[in-house]
Amino acid sequence: MDNFFVLRLLDVFKPLFLKMGVDYMTMRRILQVKLTMDQRRKPTVFNQSRKKKDKPEKNEFFKSLWMYGFFGLMLIPFLFLRDNYLFQVSILFSIFMFIIMTTLISDFSSVLLDLRDKSVLATKPVNSKTVSMAKLLHVTIYMLYITLATTLIPLLVSLFFKGILFTLLFLVSFALADIFIIAFTALLYLFILKYFDGEKLKDIINYVQIALTVGMMIGYQVVARSFELVNLDYTIDFAWWQLLLPPMWFGGLFDVLLGGGRSIGSMILTILAVLGPVISIIVYLKMIPDFERNLQKLSSQTGKKKASNKWKVFRSLHMLVSKDELPFFRFARIMMKNERDFKLKVYPSLGFAVVVPFVFMFNSYSIMSFEEFAASRSYLSMYSIMLVIPTSVIMLAHSGSHKGSWIYQVAPVKQLGLINKAALKAFLFQLFLPLFLLVSVMFSFLFGLRILDDLAAVLFAALIYTAVCFLAGGKELAFSQPFDAVQQSGDIKVFLLFLVIPVFVGLHFLALKLPFGVAGYAILMFAVNWGLWKMLK
Amino acid sequence: MSSEVLSITGLTKSYGSKEVLKGIDLKVDRGEIIGYIGPNGAGKSTTVKLMLGLEEGYSGKIEIFGEDIAKQGESYKRRIGYIPETSEMYDSLTAQEYLTFVAELYGMDYDDADRKAKQLFDVFGLAEVYQSRISSFSKGMRQKTLIVSSFLHNPDLLFLDEPLTGLDANSVMVFKEILAMFAGEGKTIFYSSHIMDVVEKISNRIVLLHGGHIVANGSFEELKSQSQEGSLENIFNQMTGFHEHQDRASEFVSIVKEG
Repeated sequence: MDNFFVLRLLDVFKPLFLKMGVDYMTMRRILQVKLTMDQRRKPTVFNQSRKKKDKPEKNEFFKSLWMYGFFGLMLIPFLFLRDNYLFQVSILFSIFMFIIMTTLISDFSSVLLDLRDKSVLATKPVNSKTVSMAKLLHVTIYMLYITLATTLIPLLVSLFFKGILFTLLFLVSFALADIFIIAFTALLYLFILKYFDGEKLKDIINYVQIALTVGMMIGYQVVARSFELVNLDYTIDFAWWQLLLPPMWFGGLFDVLLGGGRSIGSMILTILAVLGPVISIIVYLKMIPDFERNLQKLSSQTGKKKASNKWKVFRSLHMLVSKDELPFFRFARIMMKNERDFKLKVYPSLGFAVVVPFVFMFNSYSIMSFEEFAASRSYLSMYSIMLVIPTSVIMLAHSGSHKGSWIYQVAPVKQLGLINKAALKAFLFQLFLPLFLLVSVMFSFLFGLRILDDLAAVLFAALIYTAVCFLAGGKELAFSQPFDAVQQSGDIKVFLLFLVIPVFVGLHFLALKLPFGVAGYAILMFAVNWGLWKMLK
Repeated sequence: MSSEVLSITGLTKSYGSKEVLKGIDLKVDRGEIIGYIGPNGAGKSTTVKLMLGLEEGYSGKIEIFGEDIAKQGESYKRRIGYIPETSEMYDSLTAQEYLTFVAELYGMDYDDADRKAKQLFDVFGLAEVYQSRISSFSKGMRQKTLIVSSFLHNPDLLFLDEPLTGLDANSVMVFKEILAMFAGEGKTIFYSSHIMDVVEKISNRIVLLHGGHIVANGSFEELKSQSQEGSLENIFNQMTGFHEHQDRASEFVSIVKEG
């Protein structure tokens, strides 16, 4: 087992942990074991017998870090925006915190809410504070890697152009922001755990994740706009609600320490930048025993589920779901509904997919009148709803109870490929279509019924895209792979698949230039679908 | 030192409005092997989980080694060994990594733990796989790993939940012998299982839980004289009020046969 570099780094803080009542050596050992396990991909049922030689172990996680480096590039322009710290730093931190927080809630919630440890750790003479601390640090370590990957290039750039002082303050602020985000998320979960029970709790956590994602999208817009709208000089009048926007705390911090700002508003923001993270982490540490106790609720099943009949309609729609697919379709639908890890990873992006089209649209709206806008092609932003597809399709191959997938091999199934096809359809009907309809209805109100053919084209494009995402994936059987503690829903593959979306938009745009182009485009897309889904096995 | 290792008084536990344990009273002495049996859902696992501090929110009193577990920290767990029914482990670790890790959680030194674990694995004939990942193990090998992990720190009280799952007949014999020897040395074993023949043979006291109550508590001979039934299986059926196994079986068969 490696002696990880981070752990040696952690040793520096040993006295601090001891003071908090944490059994440091035990915690370190737990962390070491956790990090080791993260490096090992668990073999699945079917290749269990294959003798695993200990190959050089490489955490999948590190392979995906470069992507965050890429995201980080987005921060750079804001370094040079204007010499107004309050503005540039606030914007910069809203982007940064957005990246970190969405990653945390979609990829690491499962670590915070992990119950699997219970029977191994809680039966041993280890106090719950130590276990929770290990858990928190486990997440923190990954967040720090992501933070570093995201900010490395901006930090270097700022070192060259802004000087050492700026860079140092930058670094400290990133750390504070990280602490705040982790403690805030954990506290939020704690709060929900405390007041809700069993099944309901799982749903609520999913809703909160969606709400958070949506909230952050909107919050980001608010921060950006609070400058433009108020004053074109990018100066800003202080208003109380700005205190509620954590990115602005850091704007204030920079304004006071480097920009010489002495306004009361900036002063309060500065204080919050320091106190916010510190207080939130202290409160969290105090509440840890509570957290662990309430976590147990997640495992208890309360209440019986009512069987629903609303999907019986598919029994007669053989065009959509063939008879052979039907059992798998039903199965996949239930799995998606009940699998907590799946929901944890996929639902946040659902919220994202609803909001993004509007964000794109309003960005163009702000430079047009309503009439111009309603007549414009801004509805093409509808394509961004497709962002939800890659993650979901890839996650479909995973399950918390992946070991149950032996049943596929044992049962006399003619074509195993049907499982995947049915699972994809289940995803489309269960998650994608409702989302699509919701946004379509809203768009139809804004742009009028003239866009119906466009909407149809988008839908067909999305179906093609789903098939493409599946074909680009590993093609493992649905629900047959384990969820790893650090699974990147945002790995390289997802990112590359995102790049396919503009191609559809481009084609659609070209089609708009031709008479009846869109209808033709839609029909073409429909035909491609027909072929593609027939082929899919 | 008092010979009482475990004492449960008036233990009740509810999940929501459902009361799982409705007042359990039980005393266990040093060196006893308690066969803890009951139908599915009778509350066996819940009792064990409460004693291990895995679940909270009960009323009544649980004393282990003479001290109320609600009033002390987790240090009492140091002298307890546990084999969970679910056989959950960190199976992406090797047996060596897992066993030393668990032993260290119990406060053992790494080198001691490593040496002992290796020797114990050798005894079970698993020396070769000591450094292989647990995920590649067969069911029996996993179970042996769990057994080693629960005994490694030389505990005084053991909670064993279906510890024989997946073991072959020879290993079962070895394990039964191990339990008898440890009991002879004064270790206390809390053995829950559904395999009645084994419970009948190894336990010196049998506790039968049914519907959240203890309905029988005594040696096999005592139970036999109370109920005039031949085997523990029959006693079990009688005490839990189950007589219709014949009917249930023929119903099952007929449903399978129909179209």
